[in-house]
Amino acid sequence: MNAPLTQATCRSVSLDGGTLTITATRRPRAGRADVKCSAPGAPAVAERMQQVVRLARHTEPRFDSRDQVVLSLDRAPGEGERDWELAAVLADRMVRGVIQLTEPVIANGWSDAWHLGRIDGRMLPKPAAGVLAGGVDGLPHLGALNGQPDPGAGISSARAWFPMHSGGDQDGLGWVEVSVRPLARAGQDDEDTISVPDLDAVRQSEVRAVLGGSRHFDGRGQGQWRTTVRFGESRFSGDSYQLALVMADRMARGREFLARGRVIATGASSAWHAGKVESVEALAPKCALIAREAAAGDRVLLPKEWEAALPQGLREELRARGASLACVERIGII
Amino acid sequence: MLGSLFKDALRGTLRSPLRQPDFDATRLGRVAMALPAPNGLTVPAPCAAVLVDRGGRSRRLASGARIAALEGETAWCVHPGPYACELAPFAGAPEIGLQVHFAIDASDPRATHQRFDLFLASEAGGAVELSGFAALAQNALQRELAQGNLELPPCTTLEEWNAFRSGFNQLMYTRFGVTVDDCVPVDLGAARDYAATLDARLAAQLDAVKPAAHDAAPVAAAPQEAFVPACEDARALRRLFLELPCLMCAVRMAVLPADQDRFRQHQELLRRLDLVSLSVGTMPALELAAPGQPLAQEEQLRRARHSRRAAAALDEAWALLARLKIAGEGPLDCLFDEADRIVANLETESQARRNATVPEELEA
Repeated sequence: MNAPLTQATCRSVSLDGGTLTITATRRPRAGRADVKCSAPGAPAVAERMQQVVRLARHTEPRFDSRDQVVLSLDRAPGEGERDWELAAVLADRMVRGVIQLTEPVIANGWSDAWHLGRIDGRMLPKPAAGVLAGGVDGLPHLGALNGQPDPGAGISSARAWFPMHSGGDQDGLGWVEVSVRPLARAGQDDEDTISVPDLDAVRQSEVRAVLGGSRHFDGRGQGQWRTTVRFGESRFSGDSYQLALVMADRMARGREFLARGRVIATGASSAWHAGKVESVEALAPKCALIAREAAAGDRVLLPKEWEAALPQGLREELRARGASLACVERIGII
Repeated sequence: MLGSLFKDALRGTLRSPLRQPDFDATRLGRVAMALPAPNGLTVPAPCAAVLVDRGGRSRRLASGARIAALEGETAWCVHPGPYACELAPFAGAPEIGLQVHFAIDASDPRATHQRFDLFLASEAGGAVELSGFAALAQNALQRELAQGNLELPPCTTLEEWNAFRSGFNQLMYTRFGVTVDDCVPVDLGAARDYAATLDARLAAQLDAVKPAAHDAAPVAAAPQEAFVPACEDARALRRLFLELPCLMCAVRMAVLPADQDRFRQHQELLRRLDLVSLSVGTMPALELAAPGQPLAQEEQLRRARHSRRAAAALDEAWALLARLKIAGEGPLDCLFDEADRIVANLETESQARRNATVPEELEA
């Protein structure tokens, strides 16, 4: 585990338009309660916060009784408001180093099933851009922060990230999300059941062809699923997103080993039906981007052809940060 | 002791000079790994018998021997295998799994206790079915992967696979006392169709929504798994009582301290484990707040939850021991920190189990 901070803050937009700030601090427990919460003038909120945080900790694999986390709200939220719940859970995780978020977070979400890691929804009607919004159309469960499928949900969805490089300020990691739900009627043409609402017709057919090919290679998944593909940023060019798309699809269908963190992949193929992964452009800037963005637990997948030309020390740097890198020739088991 | 041995043997011969007691050995080696064996049974080849007394001490009898249990001993007939099972390493990826072939070794002459015998003594209770054992092994594997102690990432390379294998083999040997002969990734798609699973889940969700619409809003109470506190508590405490001394012994052997600081750290760890072991050995009864004073039902439930969590920490401790055994000098700092965490968890949970009520300062 990376050295955790001793203080973290997470904010939430309240319904009256203001901001609620949750500050979490960590100190040795010394026989005290594991979680202590306070909210000015609202003891019921503090009690609920303690319950929420304790429930959400049930979804963590690693239990540590050595620390006490103290959480405080800067002011009392409005009557019946619950959107601060997600911010409290994230602050509790950030301060213990369970999740590492690079930028300050604004999060809104509530849940009746924190012990399963689900986020049922949010009260904020129209969250602004940059707000981490809980709910089915945003962050449906806590594992989705790393793109992982929810093992208990009826609709399985997974995300994978890919480096977007245009040489400008817009460079960064983009994500692609694949959601699948079982298709009751078999025998339909697979490509009809794949919808890509965000993209134009040309790209839509490209995405369908990629998924069709990789599922053919897989031997399963044809005529079984109704698939929805979403992109975090729909304005991108090139075909290097394909490997990320294929990985997200395999994870969503429960057919791929899982990383603890995110899967960050770049690669294309002219023959997905054979499972081959081929080289793409812009090795150096993409590697630099990945080296900057990768966090503990992340899995980086690059085309095999890049292996000889990788920048010096990239592998070691990623490993030191807790991420791992593999150059792959084909998808699937070893 | 000798007298009772003689008496038992005598009774056995007098009652049935030749006839064997009823025992169905056909399931052994296929769907069952160990079955409780009746007294007087001649151990069939290639099985061995394991006899465990009330204090958890065990002894083995080779095949062909006749089981003559002493007072208070329980006997099992154990088939060495080989066995095959399929494990799913990730709950979220049911269609990809590992096909594992393993066997139970003949007793290791160097070891003071055989790990599999300890497993029988502390966890088995009755028969050990292959499916039940596979579920335990799968839990242990999934937890190690979730904690990041073993790695099985997407598109695993050969090098990573080998590292995983050595960690997994050691985990299975240290935690259960079985040796893994072979382990390969397999496609479980045909047997565990994820689409069908999700279909059933969606249907169940629809069913759940319909009745809920009638009887007002469902109460968002804190969820609690249903379990029988007395059973769970007794099982967890028995595990802690029997396994902690063996674990301490193994931790002492696993690390050869390189310098004075490490030596102190190691000693301190063993000392704390010893205190936890003492605390478990003197644990107050579940249902009593004080001698003669019954404890409220919900407090009993709380106590049982703490013993369960202590048993979970014990599982982590075995997994950590496996990592200690294959680690070189390099990651020792990290492993000792993990050990510190696990022992702290054991201390916290066993202390909480002792308390009759939640102390006030913890509620705030």
